[in-house]
Formats: sequence, structure tokens, C-alpha cells
Amino acid sequence: MADYKGGETTGFQSPAQDHIEEVVDLAALLDLRKPGMYPVRVVGQNLKERGIDHNDILIADATADPEAGRVCVAMFGGEVILATLKRKNGEWFLLPSKGEPVPVTADVDVWAIIRALVRIDV
Amino acid sequence: MCGQSSALLFELMSEMFALIDGNSFYCSCERAFEPKLRGVPLVVLSNNDGCAIARTDEAKDLGVKMGDPWHIISKRPEMKAVQWRSSNYSLYGDMSRRVYELLLDAVPFVEPYSIDEMFMDYRGMPYDLTEYSAKIRETVLRVAKIPTCVGIGPTKTIAKLANKLAKKNRSGPGVLNLADPAHRASAYKDIALGEVWGMGRASVLKLEKSGVRTVADFVAMPSDHVRDLLTVVGLRTHAELRGTSCISLTGLSAAKKSLAVTRSFGKAVTTWTEMREAVASYATRAGEKLRQHGLQASAMQVFMHTNRFNGDAPYSGGLTVEIEPTANSFALIAAALRAARSVWRDGYRYQKAGVVLVDLYRASELPAQMFPTRDPAKSAKLMQAMDAINAREGRGSIRPAHVPVQASWAGRQRNVSPRYTTRVEEIMCARA
Ligand SMILES: [Mg+2]
Repeated sequence: MADYKGGETTGFQSPAQDHIEEVVDLAALLDLRKPGMYPVRVVGQNLKERGIDHNDILIADATADPEAGRVCVAMFGGEVILATLKRKNGEWFLLPSKGEPVPVTADVDVWAIIRALVRIDV
Repeated sequence: MCGQSSALLFELMSEMFALIDGNSFYCSCERAFEPKLRGVPLVVLSNNDGCAIARTDEAKDLGVKMGDPWHIISKRPEMKAVQWRSSNYSLYGDMSRRVYELLLDAVPFVEPYSIDEMFMDYRGMPYDLTEYSAKIRETVLRVAKIPTCVGIGPTKTIAKLANKLAKKNRSGPGVLNLADPAHRASAYKDIALGEVWGMGRASVLKLEKSGVRTVADFVAMPSDHVRDLLTVVGLRTHAELRGTSCISLTGLSAAKKSLAVTRSFGKAVTTWTEMREAVASYATRAGEKLRQHGLQASAMQVFMHTNRFNGDAPYSGGLTVEIEPTANSFALIAAALRAARSVWRDGYRYQKAGVVLVDLYRASELPAQMFPTRDPAKSAKLMQAMDAINAREGRGSIRPAHVPVQASWAGRQRNVSPRYTTRVEEIMCARA
């Protein structure tokens, strides 16, 4: 256990003693503890133009309302995919990174909206 | 003055409860992350992939019953289409937390009664309770991905009953409000007594003998008669069904009076070496749980028994011992093994064992010990370090020497889903 946090010292008193803070909390920054937040791993490179690469971790928010242009996690046909939301004539569509737009009907589950991205080893 | 009268108003507000319950909760957790499982029959199995402990409607319709041994019923031809999963309690626990936190946004107090059932305080709600419940259900489904049913009533027992009825009506709205006495009276006529929360089999049999079959029959009985026939628990249920609230909402810390780690073995344990490993593992886990709650235990119960149903020679033994108040895994293991050794009898095929910690205290509530045999500060630090490493590296990464890595008695979990929400290497994948 590393007990020394920059405050308590044995010889000279640390001037930082009353100013010790915790390390930046990324879970808090990403709101990960909220009940609607889910981490998702990207598989595939088809969203590269959007800045989303293979193996990135996305933070998906299931409380967010759909918004045109946002990337979402969607479930349909038994698959979990990433797609861009599009609105046309009052109807929602999914634009998968490849293939035709898919109208959002009862058997298409817009599961959560992507809020943030974490990339290790940039 | 104003504050006082509103406090009085709060006192006078009549009790109102809602019970929200996840439909086939474990199955719903699996379906949340695996869309292939939606609309198909799905079963989740107990610890050692032994028997069915959660079933979707589709699986119920195929005849899968709670507790059915999977290795037997899976051989039936009609079970071919059934998907099954090992239990993944890390996932279910986190999904339960999500449900709980969502509910806390909607009501002032939530009592997590079990992993998939929560009581909500609906007292003084300025909304139409049925509509409000429908909104809560919708949010829980959208955000925590769990389909639920809600029952509403002026007592916990009525809320629980309403929930059960809401669930039975599969194509219904998922909410049943039994706050209205007239509505209740007509519903009671069709409900068998066995459906009522807290009504044991013995009580039902006694009541049936005197011609009391439905809930309507039961509430029509005079209280004196109920008191003569049943215990105080029966009398309390009677009052609750009549609309007088006797069971209030319970907070978590108040409820924690004991802490148990018990498990059935994957295969029968026949040697002391295996039993010693098992008991040491349970004591270790119990210690972790104890420390999570900031508690110390001053007594412990250890038990073991054979399978009562399969014709094995029967043996069941247990022992309660007092211990110096502690949350130290090593002290708990030592005490547990001493107790286990004296309960152990050679020559039996043990099916289950457990360690139950009782007499729990907050560490701060304990009287200073006269002659502590351990250094409590040092011991707390060591345990903290062990818990921190296990939290980071995964449970069991470091463990007392008594606890095996892969135990022969632990049984297999052959089809366990990823811990999608709590392990970074297991999170859900989405195709770009
Ligand atoms: Mg349930």
C-alpha cells in the first residue's frame, strides 16, 4: 500500500499537507457510475472517418434521447452494431457504416447513444 | 409553524407501497446484452449449472419448472430450442444496482428486498399512481434494460399480491393498483391463499380445513378467529390484507444482522481436505463481505450436510462458536476450520456447507477490547491491501493459503456470459 500521498512526511513538514487531492477520476468525468451508462468495445474500422477506431471503448448513455447525427448502439437482427442516427420526414433511420439506411421500427432497438470515447495506447 | 404542520401532515399521510419486480430477472439481464436471446426460450442455471433458477415465458411455456435439473430435462426433444446460461451474479448485481438507482430518482425511499424486487415508498405522491408506475416501468426498461411489473397497495402484502397478479396477466399493462378497497374486494375473490406473501403451506392447509380458500374468505374471518388458528405472523398478514399496514420499509443497515456464504458442491465432497478448502474459501468470502459493510463479527456458525433427497446416508451437523470480534479473514478461517473439524464426520458424501457470521457490529460500536490478541490496526491494513488487490486483479488473485485456485468441489460454469458492465476486458462488443 502506497501510503504517502504527498502530504504526511517524516522530516520536514510538507507545505502541500492541506492541499492533497485525489488523482483525476475518469469514471466521474465519464459519468460511468450513472445507472444508464454502459461501456462498449468497438469492433471494426468502418467508423474511422468519425474518429472511432477498432478496439476503442465507447461510453453509451441509455438515458439520452436520440439526436440526428449521433452515433448509437443498436440491436437488430440479433446483432449489436454502431450506427449514425438520421431523421427524415419525421422518421428515424439508422445509417450503418456499410449498407442501406434502416428505418427504426419496433424490431430495431436504439439501445443507447454514444457520449464519449476512451482510447488506450494512442 | 409551517414546518411543524407539514411534518404532521406527513405523519397523517396514509401509507402506500409499490413493489417493482424484474420479469425473469436473470434472463432479462442476459437478454439486455445479447439480442439473439430475445424472443427465444432462455433458462439461467444455478451455481454449478445444476438446475433452472430463472426462465423466460417462452421457456415456461415449454414446461421448464423452477428447480428442474438441467442435465435431465435438457434431453427432452422439446427443449432443443432452449438457450441456457450459467449464472453470472456479477452482472445481475450490477443491473440490480442500476434499477435501484433509477427508482431512487423517482421516489424518496427504495427498499431493495431482493436482487430483483424493490419496495417503493408511494406515500403522499401527488400523481396518479398507476400512470406514475407505468412511467417508472418504461424508464427502467429503457435505461436498465429490465422489463418489470409493478403492484401498488396500502400495505406491503397487498403491493406484493398486486405485483403477482400484474405479472400473471402477460398481455396486460404490467401495473396493478389495488389501493381502492372495492377493487381489492373483487380481486380477492379469485385469489387462492397460497399466492399471498408470508402465507406458509401449513397455514394454508389449516385454513382450507376450515373452508377458507380464497383471500376473500380469509379477510372475512374475524381477527380473533385468525389469532386462534394461526400465529402472530398469520394475524399480521390478515391485517395487511385488510389494508392496515404492519410491515414498514426497512433500510439496508438495519436489516444486516447476519451474513452467510453457503454453497452446494458441484460434486459431493468426501474428504476432509476438500471440505477444509471449501470452508476456508467461504470464510474468506465472508470476511470480504464483512469488510465491505464495515462490520465485524463476534460469532460464527459452520454447518455441513449430505443430500437429503438422493438416498445418500444422511448427516447434518453445525456448530456456533463465539469469536473475538474481527473482520480478519485469517482469524475467520482459523475459527471456521476449528468448528468445521468438530462437525466433520468421516464416511459421508457432503452436498453443502456454509459459514454464517452472526452478531455483527460496526467496527466503531465495539467496546475497546481488554486483551486483544491481534493488533487491530495492523490487521485492518493487511485486509485492506488484500481486498484492494483482489478488486483490481479479480477475486481470488491473492488469497489465504488454505484457499485453492481451482477447487475440485466448486463445480463448473460452462456457459457463463461476460461481466459486461464490471470488467473492462469483458464489455459488450459492437460492430462498426
Ligand atoms: Mg422477479
